[in-house]
Amino acid sequence: MRTLIAGVGYSNLRDLSLGPILTIQLAAMDWPVNIEVDDLSFGPIAVVQRFQTQAEPYQRVILFSAVSRGHAPGTVTTYLWEHKLPPPEEIQARIGEAVTGVVGLDNLLIIGEHFGIWPEAVIVIEVEPTDEGEDGWGAGFSPAVAKAVDDVLATVRRVALGRDDPVGRLTEVA
Amino acid sequence: MCFKNLPIEFDENGKAYLKAGVANPYDYKSTSLADNEDKIRELLARNGHIKDVDFDPVTRVAGALAFHSVVDLKERKVLSTNSMATLFRGYEVILKGRDPRDAAFISSRACGVCGGVHSATAAMAMEMAFPVRPPPLGIVIRNMLLSMEFLYDHPLHLFLLAGPDYSEAIIKQTNPEIWERAQRTPAPGANAHNYGTIGAIMTDLNPLTGGLYLEALHMTRVAREAYVVIGAKYPHPETIIPGGMMTTVSLTVMNEYFVRLQKFFDYSRKVVAIWDDIVDFFYDVDSRYRQVGARPANMIDVGIWDDPEAYDATYANANAWGERRWATPGAIVNGEVVTTKLQNLNIGIEEFVEHSYYEGWDGHRFKTDPSGAPLSPHHMWNKETKPRPTSQSWKERYTWATSPRWDRMAMEAECTARLWNTAAGGVFPHKRLIEPTGKSLRMTVPRAAMPESEIEWHIPADWNAFERNRGRAYCIPYTAMVAMDNWILAMDMLKKGQTQVHTPFEPPKSGVQIGVGYWGAGRGYLTHHAIIEDGALANYQILTPSTWNASPKDPWGTPGPYEEAVLNTPILETFSGPEDYKGIDILRTIRSFDPCMPCTTHIHVDGSPLCVTREVNTCACGVD
Repeated sequence: MRTLIAGVGYSNLRDLSLGPILTIQLAAMDWPVNIEVDDLSFGPIAVVQRFQTQAEPYQRVILFSAVSRGHAPGTVTTYLWEHKLPPPEEIQARIGEAVTGVVGLDNLLIIGEHFGIWPEAVIVIEVEPTDEGEDGWGAGFSPAVAKAVDDVLATVRRVALGRDDPVGRLTEVA
Repeated sequence: MCFKNLPIEFDENGKAYLKAGVANPYDYKSTSLADNEDKIRELLARNGHIKDVDFDPVTRVAGALAFHSVVDLKERKVLSTNSMATLFRGYEVILKGRDPRDAAFISSRACGVCGGVHSATAAMAMEMAFPVRPPPLGIVIRNMLLSMEFLYDHPLHLFLLAGPDYSEAIIKQTNPEIWERAQRTPAPGANAHNYGTIGAIMTDLNPLTGGLYLEALHMTRVAREAYVVIGAKYPHPETIIPGGMMTTVSLTVMNEYFVRLQKFFDYSRKVVAIWDDIVDFFYDVDSRYRQVGARPANMIDVGIWDDPEAYDATYANANAWGERRWATPGAIVNGEVVTTKLQNLNIGIEEFVEHSYYEGWDGHRFKTDPSGAPLSPHHMWNKETKPRPTSQSWKERYTWATSPRWDRMAMEAECTARLWNTAAGGVFPHKRLIEPTGKSLRMTVPRAAMPESEIEWHIPADWNAFERNRGRAYCIPYTAMVAMDNWILAMDMLKKGQTQVHTPFEPPKSGVQIGVGYWGAGRGYLTHHAIIEDGALANYQILTPSTWNASPKDPWGTPGPYEEAVLNTPILETFSGPEDYKGIDILRTIRSFDPCMPCTTHIHVDGSPLCVTREVNTCACGVD
């Protein structure tokens, strides 16, 4: 099964940079030939266009990112993308923000879905960031997210290497 | 004589000086906004048909813009307007104290679309300050790179951001009678774009599904691919540095660039025909559309695309090398080009903060520019950025944008000003593919799938929202022909073995040096003014097109371009009451400027707890 593992996020935003930073760590690990690791933080439209011109599509995509959802800081949540789209006005707004420079997990998922690039199996691993206000900028992670890093890496590996049911039991891990 | 309001005159050699006998030449008295605002509140309280209409945020623009208006829905006119940049952009603060060589890389982050033009403008400011003159191929390659940035940006504006306002999906809701007529109106430009009716164009302008929307997304990829061949990455290129470029230019690079550039030849023909048809159709339907977004044709542009033999990066020769650009610099007042000299543009600019979330400043460090011409204390070389968020008040302060003025007039930054200055400026030297006539600009677009053809943009009789979009469409062939001309020059240089793209330099380690970079974003004017002191940036001021356009009222109460254009906009939408009023005429006006309100900025010093965050509540409800 051709699989892509990919982080999403901006650089130098502490917890919110979890995607690009862990991509580097994951890329340095050994993987079977059918598993690729990449950073998809280069803009949703450019990602769509890359997927659209691939000779061989991915059969599974594993995305990870730090996203604020109101959980306890450091919470790792794993779920299957349900392939549901918001109303057209919101999709249009997401495309508008994407082409003018906004990068984020949600706009990548929505825009990718709208343009039909995702395979059936898209597994999302999110981490709840801590940083708010004055601590939110620069290098490094907050203690809560730093503590969750091993968990995220292990979850990505477990899901990617099939040591976990990649579909049915992906609920809250930690 | 180009100044009417500032007390600046010129001697017989063209040297500017302050008029004698004016005691405090740059003094002014502020006008209070309170009386007018009180009157508006009174009208609102007394009349049910007068409504506050807020767009917060204005969608389909880059970044965070809110717009407040008071509209008389019975008389169908706009009574009051306030443009609000709702986020703080603090690059001026970030860059202070930095190594000047960082400016090109840091300032690039001011925009997620046009990072390259900030890099170039910063590099040019440093080239003037250091000083260092790039080699000819470095200049030409920079022109080619940044042309591609515009060829990314123009389709994006025309079909993803502004275009949907003219689509079937929107027009059916806001003016169903126009949609009815569009379906039976033949499209005059069918030969170029293949749409039989105006209605068919409008259907393909539909967001998400329309063919023109999807094609524009595709064309952004074509431009991006050509861009990264030279810039290494988009939107923040790695190869623009003071002294030129740091990339290897080979025949392969030239070929990869050209095959993508060529795709814009037929696309140019198609896009101008589409926007000609859309604009002319609306004028035919109702001549009052000429008033939508109308304001006097007062514009400023510093030009772009340097002549490799003329650009020497000096302030002393800026008038000469500026007039050799592929886009002529200039100030346009009531439709007339009043100067094409970069130094005149520079000394006429002031920035005011009376209605913005900034403190003023007292200093007047540079009383003259390097040529000895007078400079205002409000000029960017004298300006200091002191953010001071306060509560919003239409009578006092309501935006993070400032009020730049040239000769104390509210000037518009517009890519159409490039066409206008070049057409009417009378100095354009590069006539291989582009020919100014004084009233128009003729472009010879080479053969691709379609045969070679001439495209001609005419200086419009009216200046409004529709002409902004039409001008933007013509900027695609214009930009493509500039890129083509520069590509030919680069090939000639390579053939002659002129492969140097960078001039080595040593940044100054002591003393005071100043510089200014003159360039443009896709939508128009861009300058960076820098002061270097003892090897570090002591002051850095970025003036973007949207700062001009989104400006609040100035100290004399004159509205900024968005505000003025919306004030002049008739309400032509079809609606039965406030509940189904959508504000399309106002939105068309605002979006015609292609607002770009770059990201908020948070300032962090690594390894220290220092962090500056500025927040402001954008909700206009209850503001007085």
